Amino acid sequence: MEVGQMQRRLMDYTKSLFMEGFLDGQFLQLQQLQDESNPDFVVEVVSLFFDDSEKLLNDLTMALDQPNVDFKKVDAHVHQLKGSSSSIGAQRVKNACIAFRNFCEEQNTEACLRCLQQVKQEYYLAKNKLESLFRLEQQIVAAGGSVPIMEMGF
Amino acid sequence: MAEKSFETPPRRSETSPILASPMGTPLRKVFNRISGIASSWGRKTDPQGRRIFHRDVEQEEFQHASAHCLSSYYSVFVARLAIMVMLAILIGLLTILTWHFTRIYTTKSLNTLAFGLRYELLQRPILRMWNILNSTSEITTAQVKLSEYVIRRYNNPTTQAEQVELYQMMKDITWALFSSRKALNAITINYKNGFVQAFHRDHRSNNTFYIYSDLANYSISGSESYDSKMPSLRQGWNDQYIRGNVSATWYREPLDPVSGERTGKPLPIPPDDLINIAGPSQVPDGVASWHVAVSKSIDSPLLSAALPVWDSSNTSIVAVVGVTTALYSVGQLMKELVEVHSGYIYLTSQEGYLLATSTNAPLLKNTTKGPKLMMAVDSEDHVIRMGAQWLQKAYGNKFPPGHVVHVENANLGRQHYYIDSFFLNLKRLPMVGVIIIPRKYIMGKADERAFRTLVILISASLCILVIGCVCILILTNGVSKEMKLRAELISHLDARRRAEASSNYKSQFLANMSHELRTPMAAVIGLLDILICDDCLTNEQYAMVTQIRKCSTALLRLLNNILDLSKVESGKLVLEDAEFDLGRELEGLVDMFSVQCINHNVETVLDLSDDIPKVVGGDSARVVQVFANLISNSIKFTTSGHIILRGWCENPNVSIDPGKLSPDTKKPLSALKSKLKQHGNHMKKASKRDNKMILWFEVDDTGCGIDPSKWESVFESFEQADPSTTRTHGGTGLGLCIVRTLVHKMGGEIKVVKKNGPGTLMRLFLLLSTPADGIEQHSQVEFAKHSVAVILALHGSMGRLIMSQWLSRNGVPTLEASEWNELTQILHELFHARTRNGFDTHYSLGEPLRSKVHSLQDMRNPVYIIVVDLGLLDLSTIIWKEQLNFLDKFSGQVNFAWVLNHDTSNAIKMELRRKGHILMVNKPLYKAKMLHILEAVIKDSYAERQKRSPNGTKGTAKEGDSHECLEIDSNHFETCSSDDDTFEIGGANSVSSADTGEQQREGTVKSSPSNCQTLKNCLVEFTGLGSELNNLRAEEDQCTGRPKLHDTDQDAKCENSNSPDQLLVCSSPKDRDNSYASKPANGQKSLEGIRILLAEDTPVLQRVATIMLEKMGATVIAVGDGLQAVDALNCVLDGEEYRRESSLQQRSRLQTEICASPLYDLILMDCQMPKMDGYEATKSIRKSEEATGWHIPIVALTAHAMSSDEAKCLEVGMDAYLTKPIDYNLMVSTILSLTERSA
Repeated sequence: MEVGQMQRRLMDYTKSLFMEGFLDGQFLQLQQLQDESNPDFVVEVVSLFFDDSEKLLNDLTMALDQPNVDFKKVDAHVHQLKGSSSSIGAQRVKNACIAFRNFCEEQNTEACLRCLQQVKQEYYLAKNKLESLFRLEQQIVAAGGSVPIMEMGF
Repeated sequence: MAEKSFETPPRRSETSPILASPMGTPLRKVFNRISGIASSWGRKTDPQGRRIFHRDVEQEEFQHASAHCLSSYYSVFVARLAIMVMLAILIGLLTILTWHFTRIYTTKSLNTLAFGLRYELLQRPILRMWNILNSTSEITTAQVKLSEYVIRRYNNPTTQAEQVELYQMMKDITWALFSSRKALNAITINYKNGFVQAFHRDHRSNNTFYIYSDLANYSISGSESYDSKMPSLRQGWNDQYIRGNVSATWYREPLDPVSGERTGKPLPIPPDDLINIAGPSQVPDGVASWHVAVSKSIDSPLLSAALPVWDSSNTSIVAVVGVTTALYSVGQLMKELVEVHSGYIYLTSQEGYLLATSTNAPLLKNTTKGPKLMMAVDSEDHVIRMGAQWLQKAYGNKFPPGHVVHVENANLGRQHYYIDSFFLNLKRLPMVGVIIIPRKYIMGKADERAFRTLVILISASLCILVIGCVCILILTNGVSKEMKLRAELISHLDARRRAEASSNYKSQFLANMSHELRTPMAAVIGLLDILICDDCLTNEQYAMVTQIRKCSTALLRLLNNILDLSKVESGKLVLEDAEFDLGRELEGLVDMFSVQCINHNVETVLDLSDDIPKVVGGDSARVVQVFANLISNSIKFTTSGHIILRGWCENPNVSIDPGKLSPDTKKPLSALKSKLKQHGNHMKKASKRDNKMILWFEVDDTGCGIDPSKWESVFESFEQADPSTTRTHGGTGLGLCIVRTLVHKMGGEIKVVKKNGPGTLMRLFLLLSTPADGIEQHSQVEFAKHSVAVILALHGSMGRLIMSQWLSRNGVPTLEASEWNELTQILHELFHARTRNGFDTHYSLGEPLRSKVHSLQDMRNPVYIIVVDLGLLDLSTIIWKEQLNFLDKFSGQVNFAWVLNHDTSNAIKMELRRKGHILMVNKPLYKAKMLHILEAVIKDSYAERQKRSPNGTKGTAKEGDSHECLEIDSNHFETCSSDDDTFEIGGANSVSSADTGEQQREGTVKSSPSNCQTLKNCLVEFTGLGSELNNLRAEEDQCTGRPKLHDTDQDAKCENSNSPDQLLVCSSPKDRDNSYASKPANGQKSLEGIRILLAEDTPVLQRVATIMLEKMGATVIAVGDGLQAVDALNCVLDGEEYRRESSLQQRSRLQTEICASPLYDLILMDCQMPKMDGYEATKSIRKSEEATGWHIPIVALTAHAMSSDEAKCLEVGMDAYLTKPIDYNLMVSTILSLTERSA
């Protein structure tokens, strides 16, 4: 594939991610932070996010499996997840977290479980999207092109 | 979904009547219940009902409500039914008891009576019978005794003659006895020898007969044998003997019933033809015998008694005397009794043969062998027969002892009868008497009465039942209505609770949404800032972007307000107490709204009295919000006229100058004042103590006004004076409510005040604190000594009036003109008259104006300022150019200041500039702008004068001065537009400083547009000074003087920015460079050399923040939680001490790193962390700092964007507050400001 074409595809894909609400401006800020001094910053942060989120989701699943759910703990986990997801701009995960926290306050176990599923789903979706985004970028880099920086044109 | 939505409407309509008609009739209720049940059943069977949709949930609730309704209906129904049934039972019992008692007692007494009667009735015939028996027995005994006597006299008659004499004697005796007893039927004497003497009385024919047998056949001798054979004869005597006499001839002779004389010839009759002759056979044992006999001559049974006549030795029977009495009289008596009392009586023998009855039925039956006694069961009278049969059936032969039977309810035929029987126990002749009385006779009336009573009782009780049921219905209806009301109340409460919950959700939602909303806004503003920094914008674009920037700021402010309103609603609003410039806030507000007003042809006027302190303490955002709401409300309802925002101060110490108030406001004010006094001296004391002052404001419009009846209610939630306004003007009716809430919060009051003329006058006062050093700096220029005169040529009459009043109060003479012609007249009068010595008379000015003009002319060397509204020019045609040319003629003598519209086209501006009109302000004209105009003109004229003098260097100083003035204004704009939003201050300042920074670096002609931009920010445009590139009239020497000018500019800036009340400090050019670098793409290290401790648990955030900060040149040490942060800091502190003590001991690697480094300049602290959260960490850090006296700035990082969180952060000792996700610019500016301050 031609580099230019790939670049265009990457742009389109990124735009679609923004349009569909997977990502928000925070991701752009991340991208802008990436420069020669730390070229893989975005990937690094995002993979950090993945690790962190996996851990948190595991913890959440465990916590909600308990017969007596410690909602404080759950809430703290969700809060953390919300913070990290909003930091990388994973908007939909963050929104799901917000809903989750509301149910935590209500101490509604059933709804929490439902929300957990939703958060997981959103997370895996975001993960897939971001991974494919990075794959595209890597392809472009491998093809010798430069990754175009998305303008704040949303 | 489509199918679903298709399904729902009919179901809803099906269930809706349940709620729609709660007061339905019972029938309706039942129907509803059925339909409700049916629908709920339908739901249950609906296989798709499992799907959880929002609508379904709602419906279930709905259904639940209706089911609840149904159950309550059901319970009411059941309760009613139960009460009714109980009532019915009660009434039924009462009825039955009543009936029973009435009936039973009568029946019982009647029965007792009837029993007595029956007894009596039966007793009498029995008595009669007894009598008969007695008399018969007496007669018999008498006869026997007489016979014995006679026979003893003639003992052993030997001769025939004696015999005859004996018989004659016997006959006489017997006659005597017989005649004495009329009731006797017959007396017979049967002698031993077979001779028979008898008297017989035939009752029917009333004849008396003597019957005797033929004497010739009997011998006296026979008596011997008779005697001797006595024992044996006892048996043989009887029948055979009589039978032996069968052949004997019997004679009967009729007798006179009275005298006994023979009246006829004796006639022979066959024996036993007429009467029974008692023979020895009837006295077999020699004692008296009784039996009932029948005879042919009489149809009633006869009672015959037989008694033997013993001889003197009492050993043999010589004769047998028989007495026969008819029972006829008993029957007669019975008949009589029955005639009186009705019923049937009969007498039987023990065997059941009828002896007497009360009826005429025959007692005997004729057989071939002659009449015979009849059994009672064979009686021809059917009642008697049936009675007898019934008795027989009931008792058979086993009668109870004594044969006494009382039966009260024997059913004979079809009637009920009383049957009583008595037993007359005679030794020889036991008899049974039976009386049968129809029940009807005794109980007939009673039964009838009882029946009637029953009917009446039942009908009465039915009536009572019906009435009772109706009463119960009515009563329970009331109760059920109450229940329904209560249920409604409960449901309302429920609904209210739900509504409260939902509003709670709303607040939560808003709280959660707050930073979601703020983030994009921050992005927009940031991007706009970047765009403003861009150099390649044209002026128009720049203006537009600036407008967008303003609007975004307004929107952000609005967002913040909305978020805060959710706090107001939840009662958590805390007013800030910060100092702010009230006048500038209000000016900014009026500027903002005047743009709207222009389209409405409404004049917005700001009229603040001079005594209002410049700086007051309070919540500027809330104050501005109050007025923004009020003014926007006024604008909404005002189509033409003016909106005036008046303000004055009521200092408790200073009496109000009445001259400052508009005339129509004085009276209500005094009323309010008195009210204020009433409402407590303590308030005043408090206000004195806290250095508070009462600021009065009025918002006066000429709109449609509010009906006086609504003056109170418009301040309620969702209340609008006229419901139709929602249609025409929109709005929720919340604005005034918020205003009142806020005003009350600020210790004030708001009310609608009566005003003259159309429109509304809202008056409010606020209790705002003045700064402690609140010496009001009335740094007013003494305009009077400059001999300035102002001609106000303005369209809006109200603004002009107020302005001129203010000016004249400040000693500036004014002239007013409302249109072009007036202006020209004044000019002519003023200048031409002077030049021509007033000979030009064809301009006709009004007398007062003329006198004013003349008074102006009297002034010594005045400086004229003509404030011209651009609207006075005829802009629709090109005449305005002519008009400008006309005005140009005076340009040497006067200074023009133009009041522009917001939409004034650039061409006109250019033209004005070309003509040298450099003083332009935007509408509306208010005090501050006027002040600027005056100052500018005075300085200008002063400079002019200076210029005229040979000292030319003063010119630059002049410009520097004017720039200072500009800069003040620019700062003013920023603070004004930015309420308390630190971010905004940071942003705006960074922009402006970025501008200047660029200016400084490039320092060429390029700088002019940016300078112009700065100037554009302020509302007074000194075009001629700012942009000589655009100025076609530019003077070259001014251009060369530019760099110098910039220097002074910057010096001025430095002075300004060093002023303490500015949050963001840009004290040196270097800092300005740093802040310029806040544009990230620039790559400038704005945070160079700053050491930052980052406490953040989320790795992602940690990484992001680290990179962000490092990119700006900061050194970042990241820790995972609060505990580590505290440790790290303590280590530093310790380290410092160590270092002081030259101890180089080192602990861990981390600590080594930290210890090696100098103090941190700043800590970024996440609020929520494991082990120790940000708040705790901050507290402990601050605690440990106490000893050292240092203060490390701590900036909170939190995902909560509510002010309450901010308050919490500040409370624990943090210095600033950043919301996640981290905004780049905001973070930089915050860090900078904090590090600067600490530095």
